[in-house]
Amino acid sequence: MPLYEGLGSGGEKTAVVIDLGEAFTNDRVIADQQVGFITWKWQQCGYGEDLTKPSWMETSDSMGGFLWIHVVSLIASFSQICALVRCGFAGETGPRCIIPSEIKKPDVAKPVKVVQYNINTEELYSYLKEFIHMLYFRHLLVNPRDRRVVIIESVLCPSHFRDTLTRVLFKHFEVPSVLFAPGHLMSLLTLGINSAMVLDCGYAESLVLPIYEGIPILSCWGSLPLGGKAIHKELEYQLLEQCTVDTGLAKGQRLPSVMGSVPEEVVEDIKVRTCFVSDLQRGLKIQAAKFNIDGSTERPSPPPDVDYPLDGEKILHVVGPIRDSVVEILFEQDNEETSIATLILDSLIQCPIDTRKQLAENLVVIGGTAMLPGFLHRLMAEIRYLVEKPKYKEALATKTFRIHTPPAKPNCVAWLGGAIFGALQDILGSRSVSREYYSQTGRIPDWCCLNNPPLEMMFDVGKAPPPLMKRAFSTEK
Amino acid sequence: HQVDSHYCPSCLENMPSAEAKLKKNRCANCFDCPCCMHTLSTRATSIPDPLPDDPAKTTMKKAYYLACGFCRWTSRDVGMADKSVASGGWQEPENPHTQRINKLVEYYQQLAQKEKIERDRKKLVRRRNYMPLAFSQHTIHVVDKYGLGTRLQRQRPGAPISALAGLSLKEGEDQKEIKIEPADAVEEVEPLPEDYYTRPINLTEVTTLRQRLLQPDLQPICASQLYPRHKHLLIKRSLRCRVCEHNLSKPEFNPTSIKFKIQLVAVNYMPEVRIMSIPNLRYMKESQVLLTLTNPVENITHVTLLECEEGDPDNINSTAKVAVPPKELILAGKDAAAEYDELAEPQDFQDDPDVIAFRKANKVGVFIKVTPQKEEGEVTVSFKMKHDFKILTGLIRPSEESDHTSGVVWLTHHVELSLGPVLP
Repeated sequence: MPLYEGLGSGGEKTAVVIDLGEAFTNDRVIADQQVGFITWKWQQCGYGEDLTKPSWMETSDSMGGFLWIHVVSLIASFSQICALVRCGFAGETGPRCIIPSEIKKPDVAKPVKVVQYNINTEELYSYLKEFIHMLYFRHLLVNPRDRRVVIIESVLCPSHFRDTLTRVLFKHFEVPSVLFAPGHLMSLLTLGINSAMVLDCGYAESLVLPIYEGIPILSCWGSLPLGGKAIHKELEYQLLEQCTVDTGLAKGQRLPSVMGSVPEEVVEDIKVRTCFVSDLQRGLKIQAAKFNIDGSTERPSPPPDVDYPLDGEKILHVVGPIRDSVVEILFEQDNEETSIATLILDSLIQCPIDTRKQLAENLVVIGGTAMLPGFLHRLMAEIRYLVEKPKYKEALATKTFRIHTPPAKPNCVAWLGGAIFGALQDILGSRSVSREYYSQTGRIPDWCCLNNPPLEMMFDVGKAPPPLMKRAFSTEK
Repeated sequence: HQVDSHYCPSCLENMPSAEAKLKKNRCANCFDCPCCMHTLSTRATSIPDPLPDDPAKTTMKKAYYLACGFCRWTSRDVGMADKSVASGGWQEPENPHTQRINKLVEYYQQLAQKEKIERDRKKLVRRRNYMPLAFSQHTIHVVDKYGLGTRLQRQRPGAPISALAGLSLKEGEDQKEIKIEPADAVEEVEPLPEDYYTRPINLTEVTTLRQRLLQPDLQPICASQLYPRHKHLLIKRSLRCRVCEHNLSKPEFNPTSIKFKIQLVAVNYMPEVRIMSIPNLRYMKESQVLLTLTNPVENITHVTLLECEEGDPDNINSTAKVAVPPKELILAGKDAAAEYDELAEPQDFQDDPDVIAFRKANKVGVFIKVTPQKEEGEVTVSFKMKHDFKILTGLIRPSEESDHTSGVVWLTHHVELSLGPVLP
């Protein structure tokens, strides 16, 4: 929901851009995995169509199948996602507001998270309705009926969520049109380049997607559930284990005796304010010290402790070692030797050979987790270190890696891309799903098509459902 | 719902929508404390200031600074100099990337223009008779679906894939090309400074996530860079009917007034049921409860109370049986002048003293018999109230059907009364 005036051609009002910081929970993918193949919705919103060869099926079985199993074991513990929503107007340089995607119900004490994927449709509908109502009338202060909507989303967003969101927007708020834009592609718009390897380190997961010449190479995606949420969990665990609390009554009490669990906002705040990412050498030493059973490796000297006030009475002593070791889980290589850095390299290996050099020299990292101090430097160092390993040394010929600095903070880059796109009014109009189209067909296409055929065309095409394998490729509307 | 008017919550000043759009929905005068989101107040101090004519003499001049009454934050903490005017002197910091972003938008707009021209040109391509079927309208549509174009338009193999073939700037085509430099990737990222690992943190200096997110453009990490922002406006909403676009609820323009210009609320047209007196309610004992029915409209209303049926979906809460008066009750219309006019003839209704306790102007008192069914807990009764409602011509669209203009409709509502606990 971008809104800017003066830039547009003609009197059309600027559109509204919403970036729902949802992370994909992989719930839907797991269900499909059980069926034996992966159907996933991918949208193209770009300047070209996907010309990828249909070899993604094979690669996904070999690589993706492996990846899925890894993810399944962690999914069970994820039930909800906390996300930040960025919303604002097209053409502006920054979102108007960044708010957590929760609504407060009067009878429930804790705010309810809006972005959930495993609740039934009716509940999700009412949550989304309330949330978007709050967005429009508390933060954006505009009429929903006047302005087009651009929604930035992850490529792996479940269709069920998209459908419900579309239904809320069209049926209840009666917006003129809706456009779903993939966040990875939009971030390229902020840089003025056409190809890049985009890594989105968000809350629930990190997702990498290469984009070549404006087309997402969807078969080479990669994802790991290592994001803000994993860090919070680890941090809470460490706090409960190692830290002491000074209450008004007693000093030096262990944390579990004072409170059973630390609320997530507190954990997030501790992470944001005190934690950082060490550089490669130091990080490797910390990891070695952690996994070393006989304790012969010394960890580097920890940073100083921090006294964190919990509330008026209690002070939590955050011991130094926690501050730099918690973030190491992002870079530790687990049993399958995957970490955030390997995501990029693995994806690079899967890409067509001609594209690799260009992709490697255009890395883009977005997402809130990437804003931790020292993250980018460590990521680059890890990549360069891993490239020398035997696993990648033969596979990848390119050894140079470069990273971009987008003109916005990493958590707003995708939003900014959407805002730039939303400022192009004619194109936005032709690529959005309009209200008439939605009321006629009753559904939103799972991907944007470049050339909207006239409506007659859509009803002419035989409506026999295509075999599921082909669905990802056919441009059936 | 629609946005009706904007106003600032602290200075309660109305703002026209055009100005609100320009100011990005922020008040011009009021500020928010960046630490605690409270409203900042402007305080004045006197500082000695040399007169322009005579540097030797100094006079006291007023200087203003912003301060928060809640968390004691002042504008001097951030380094903002005191201003000499009470309002209007404070500026918000600008986003350093604004220029680059504007350039990007212009560049993409140009590309968008080109694509639009291409598209329009394709649509108008004339059918050439001498070309084979490959160029028929249908084929072009089908072919367009895949974006590859017909054989003649397809890329030659070996040429770089340019999905933006129509969109990238061709040389020498346009007079005014906006060229932007695509962003340069850097080889090295700045590492953390060496003393980061050993430096103790002062938590009061580091901003919290919430404070950072309040300023999405800058998101400063140090509290010394937290600049105050203008206060966000609030709105008043008006409501329209979805079907006929009629205005249902329109608030007053003045932010300080809570009344409505138009307020079409159903409660204003229905008889109001109030509990007047409740006797002691005992388990399984029938007692009489006195209710009043008030008629809000000006014409005579006929009300019938009905008991709920078995298996009524609305009837979920009642814990007592109720016996309502079987006859139809008549309520007199509301007459605004009645209280002043003592000579008004009291209308004569034949009132059954068992049923009707009293009658006064447009109010009538009615007995109902209640038998609590549960030994403990709240006694809740429910029944249906059926009354006639005269559709006023002003409320509906003028339509062709004349029988709707002055129709009388019988409406039934479910009424639930909570009568208090059962006494032992």
